[in-house]
Amino acid sequence: MADDGTRTQKHKVGMVPGTLGEIERRVSADEAPPLAPNAQLAWIGKSVHRINGRAKVTGAARFTVDVKLPGMLHGRLLRSPHPHARLASLDLSAAGRHPGVRAVLPVNETAGRAVEAADEKASGSAARRVLYVGDVVAGVAAATPAAAEAALRLIKAEYRPLPFVVDLESARRSGAPVVFERPVHGEGYAGAIAGGAPIEQRGNVRGPNTAGSRGDANAGFAQADVTVAGEYRTQVQTHCCMETHAVVADWRSDGLTVYASTQYTAGVRAELAQIFGLPLSRVRVVVDAMGGGFGSKSSAGNYMRAAVMLSRQAGAPVRIALDRSEEHLDSGNRPATVQKLRVGAKKDGALTAIALDTYGTAGVGLGAGVGFFAQGLYACENFSISQSDVFINAGPGCAMRAPGNVPGAFALEQAIDELAEKLGVDPLALRDRIDPSPVHREERRLGAARFGWSARHAPGADTGPVKRGVGVAQSYWSANINTHAACEVCILRDGSVELFSGVQDIGSGIGTVLAQVVAEELGLRPEDVAIHIGDTNFPAGPPSYGSLTTASITPPARNAAHRALRELMRTAAPALGAAPESLVARGGRITTADGARSLSFREAASRLPAERISAVASRSDDYGGFARKFGEMAQAREPLGGVQFAEVAVDVETGIVRVERVVAAQDCGRPMNPKQTESQVHGGILMGVSYALYENRVIDRNTGHVLNADLEHYKIARSRETPAIDVILLENYQGMSATDAYGIAEPANIATAPAIANAVYNAIGVRVRQLPMTPATILAALGRIPAVRASA
Amino acid sequence: MADGVTRREFLKGTGAVITGVAMLDQSAAAERGPGAAAADSGQVEILLHVNGARRSVSVEPQMTLAEVLRGPLDLTGTKIGCDRGACSACTVWLDREPVLSCMTLALDVGEREVVTIEGLAGGGRLHPVQSAFIAQDAVQCGFCTPGMVMSCAALLERNPDPSREDVKAAIAGHLCRCGTTPHVLDAVLEAAKAAKG
Amino acid sequence: MKRFQWARARGVADAAGSGNATVADAMQSKNGSPRTDAVVLKAGGVDLLDLMKEGLLTPRRVVNLRAVPELGRLVEERDGSMRVGATVTLAQLAAHPAIRARYRALAQAAGNSASPQLRNMATIGGNLLQRPRCWYFRSAAHHCARKGGQTCFAFAGENAYHAIFGQNGCAIVHPSTSATALVAFGAGVELAGAKGRKRVVALEKFFVPPERDIGRENDLKPGEILTAVLLPPPGHGARSAHLRQGELDSFDWPVADVAVVLEMEKDGVCRRASVVLGAAAPVPHRAKAAEDALVGKRIADDVARQAAHAALAGASPLSQNAYKLPIFEALVRRAVLGATGE
Repeated sequence: MADDGTRTQKHKVGMVPGTLGEIERRVSADEAPPLAPNAQLAWIGKSVHRINGRAKVTGAARFTVDVKLPGMLHGRLLRSPHPHARLASLDLSAAGRHPGVRAVLPVNETAGRAVEAADEKASGSAARRVLYVGDVVAGVAAATPAAAEAALRLIKAEYRPLPFVVDLESARRSGAPVVFERPVHGEGYAGAIAGGAPIEQRGNVRGPNTAGSRGDANAGFAQADVTVAGEYRTQVQTHCCMETHAVVADWRSDGLTVYASTQYTAGVRAELAQIFGLPLSRVRVVVDAMGGGFGSKSSAGNYMRAAVMLSRQAGAPVRIALDRSEEHLDSGNRPATVQKLRVGAKKDGALTAIALDTYGTAGVGLGAGVGFFAQGLYACENFSISQSDVFINAGPGCAMRAPGNVPGAFALEQAIDELAEKLGVDPLALRDRIDPSPVHREERRLGAARFGWSARHAPGADTGPVKRGVGVAQSYWSANINTHAACEVCILRDGSVELFSGVQDIGSGIGTVLAQVVAEELGLRPEDVAIHIGDTNFPAGPPSYGSLTTASITPPARNAAHRALRELMRTAAPALGAAPESLVARGGRITTADGARSLSFREAASRLPAERISAVASRSDDYGGFARKFGEMAQAREPLGGVQFAEVAVDVETGIVRVERVVAAQDCGRPMNPKQTESQVHGGILMGVSYALYENRVIDRNTGHVLNADLEHYKIARSRETPAIDVILLENYQGMSATDAYGIAEPANIATAPAIANAVYNAIGVRVRQLPMTPATILAALGRIPAVRASA
Repeated sequence: MADGVTRREFLKGTGAVITGVAMLDQSAAAERGPGAAAADSGQVEILLHVNGARRSVSVEPQMTLAEVLRGPLDLTGTKIGCDRGACSACTVWLDREPVLSCMTLALDVGEREVVTIEGLAGGGRLHPVQSAFIAQDAVQCGFCTPGMVMSCAALLERNPDPSREDVKAAIAGHLCRCGTTPHVLDAVLEAAKAAKG
Repeated sequence: MKRFQWARARGVADAAGSGNATVADAMQSKNGSPRTDAVVLKAGGVDLLDLMKEGLLTPRRVVNLRAVPELGRLVEERDGSMRVGATVTLAQLAAHPAIRARYRALAQAAGNSASPQLRNMATIGGNLLQRPRCWYFRSAAHHCARKGGQTCFAFAGENAYHAIFGQNGCAIVHPSTSATALVAFGAGVELAGAKGRKRVVALEKFFVPPERDIGRENDLKPGEILTAVLLPPPGHGARSAHLRQGELDSFDWPVADVAVVLEMEKDGVCRRASVVLGAAAPVPHRAKAAEDALVGKRIADDVARQAAHAALAGASPLSQNAYKLPIFEALVRRAVLGATGE
């Protein structure tokens, strides 16, 4: 150990399958030693069964919608029926008098939307504007759901309707009704490139933002031997979590407890503390089972704030669970985009320029940018980017599974496919030339072999009405980490072990992975480790977004277990007559290095002087440092990705596209639980299939109402749309942390739509640049019917 | 009122126990005019056969089976995903056939036997479909899982040797937003094999 | 859902006349607020619950027919016809051996509708009487012409799933897939009114196009009960097929569905044909020109192709649903060939 509290250690690095090399890392002295490759481990890298699997298959798992507290009231929200209006008056008195009603109040919360500058000229009495159908106006809490519903009908809200606009193209025109009268600010999110100069705003268009450009694109195109250009259109997709956004807020004099279906307990706690002027110590956020989020449950939305306000007013716990319609209207969505993309290349395939001019709409929110994908995936000196947000009178967008990169990949990966054809090379060979990632290269090789890529035919070569085709596309996503991530591991005197962290299980199975990590370190079985997560009473956990949970929380879990074990070994050492640092924990025993003497884990623990050993560890920086760090968010040096191959069958008489087969080669550093990881990859692919072919939020341009705020006309891939999926999980050891593990949920969702689009091209010989690829879209592309007007 | 009505028997008011076999009599509560009496008038006590037990429960006429299971009966394993019959999360068995509890009125259940996810495992022993769901990781967030399990178990009841396409057909009405479907298909085929083996 | 009173009918005689409004009547309003004095009948209840949950239907009382025994029977008559009680479920219908053997298109139509769970709940009577799925009609925020308002919002709005034929003031498509097959088989419906009055109406005549009455899809009278669907014996050498195409295969309304019933001579010549298009018009759409193109012909690919082309005679697609035309053309051709086993 060095004097500065660090030591150096050797890590195996490289890809499996493949030969591993070795790298030396300087790490903090209290870090766990290097973790061996998965093949040499007992639990990590094994498909251990989900620890809450039994609870989930027996109905015992407790979701937020299942939470019942004594005296709990049922809250409902009154929402604007107008896409744009002034709220002339709001009379709550009749609702307040309805039997069973305990609280009723106006709700004027604007979470999720762009923040409009204050109107300095306006008097304090200026009537509030509602900006979309579903904008929250008031809330009510009553003893029964029926009473709350009845009271909602008794609220008298008078609106003065204003002109509105709900489609992207109309909103851009000069003279269109303006959504925001004054300049707005706010943050986009990963996917759009952050930063840059102040952004101009004209009418409903905020932009262009050219931050992130590099080199000289015009010069690059001048050098190009071949150029491809196209305009790509993607639709609004909604998250459709099976458990709708739900909360039970319990305001008491000694503090606020919130049971929330959330992706980020610690974040929601901080938000609520700030909004309601409470110290963090007086706000507790709890989530047990959580019915999906996909980006939409990352913060304390308007419904949650309203529940807290109602609880405060009523002096009782208040439950609000959105209904399916509210979920579509006002819980976020993936923005629609229009991307004009040009790519130039030399004859040998080397890219000379990429120019991406894009606009899109996140409704009344910001964040329709897509530039991150094209900026980073391929080597190209000259990159020009221009991104604009267009406001419409629709619910705000928010992050959704690989925000920005999913629509971004749909455009760029088709352009690369087109470029390969123009250059007369295989799309994989072109990528070998322009993609600097050795991981992608290996994924292309493994995936192509498994898929049978070499049997691919020329575009449109199939005869008969059902034409088959194959396509490939790549994924790219930064390997994110949140360093505000901590775990406590306790060894109790009876030999039992507990882990505590605020991290929540969104459905990925992080609790199971944590049990594996602790069991591996302590030489126990995963079932020996009691996992307590999803509660801000425990050390703060990272969010479950950005595919960063595993990367953020497994290293502190292992380090905490390691530190607790060191202490246990100090206790056990005298009995074994060995130095503590020479002892090993294996198979439920603490053993001397030569294996000659041992104590069971339980015997060792029984010698503890205190009731328990407790060790808390926080996420340290990646060994060798991060590529970028901003606040508690960081990006690892090597991005995440994957390569997906799709086979489709296109019925050219009906326009129906069916995805028959997908091979996905994906990487996530060290895969922690292959079966669970595979589940997530399946999920990413199916969401991608669904995005490519079916999903589309439809707003009536004349009335401003969403027409398919349901699960009937909002179409999502189900069992019969599920292709045969083959997942290849690469092990990619980089020696970057105590576990070397990263996420996969988002990378698995990025390449699917463009792989399908490229396969459709290969099938029918016509490029489809618009999503979703419904029969109408395909038949129009084939020239069987006139082109369909693009939807918003 | 038309004379046909007097020959019919209407619902009993609060306190009456209706088994579903008996014809119903006109109730005082039911006879009050529309609207005014709606919010607070007569709850109705009914008997439901749920998971092998008879449960007496107070309901309002407009309450669905899903609401009654999750509310007064506290069987929250049955989930409501859309409340319109479009996601199948609320699937339970009525006389061993999978149906949607969100589109079934509690009053319309009558004598039929309800089995929910809580009643599928017998005496602490998991149904083979449940075990296979765990083994094949046919669970992610788990919200669609109870309904999915009920449909898959019902499939094996009537078709012990299903093909992959049969399983797809049986769960075609289910929405799993996590995209766990491939593992669900694997699990059901494994459960069928285990049951045979 | 708003509260309602609940009553259970003991028998058909008992229930006939107890209702005071059809569901369509009960949903009519000038101001967008449905009636609150209606007594309506319920079979499986799937559509009724959906309408009530959306606040589109607010009846005073619901009379339950689901457990009336005589409505639940499926009987083969001596003359080869079949009588399908109104509360026979779609699952029972699709699984019945005689239906599968002799009315294949009906078994296919019923068996591929909705989802397995819904097929266990939904009755054939309710299926025929269900209200349309048009998203404007189903939205309480849109007081459309069919509910007593002034406008059909689909014409100037989002109409990808709407009608390509017969949109006279309203562009709904009829929601029953089974009806497509039943009309092709020449089925009738038996209706019981108050005081035991019964009538039988050909299903094709039972459905009401918007130009006759924009507020309802069928000729059910207030208080009347649809008691049974009557299937005539299949004609000599009859073969049939039903095909549907949704955007999804799993759980979706068809964007097009087609039923074809052909009566074939031994020499392979088609003697009689019925070709019916579903999801095409406000009522099941009989494609007479297609039938004419088949009768007297030996069924082969070119004949099927001509019939398919003829089936679309007179189609007038809206701004977003022209894509349905090639789909119908493909389905008609495939169904004709499928029925004859070509």
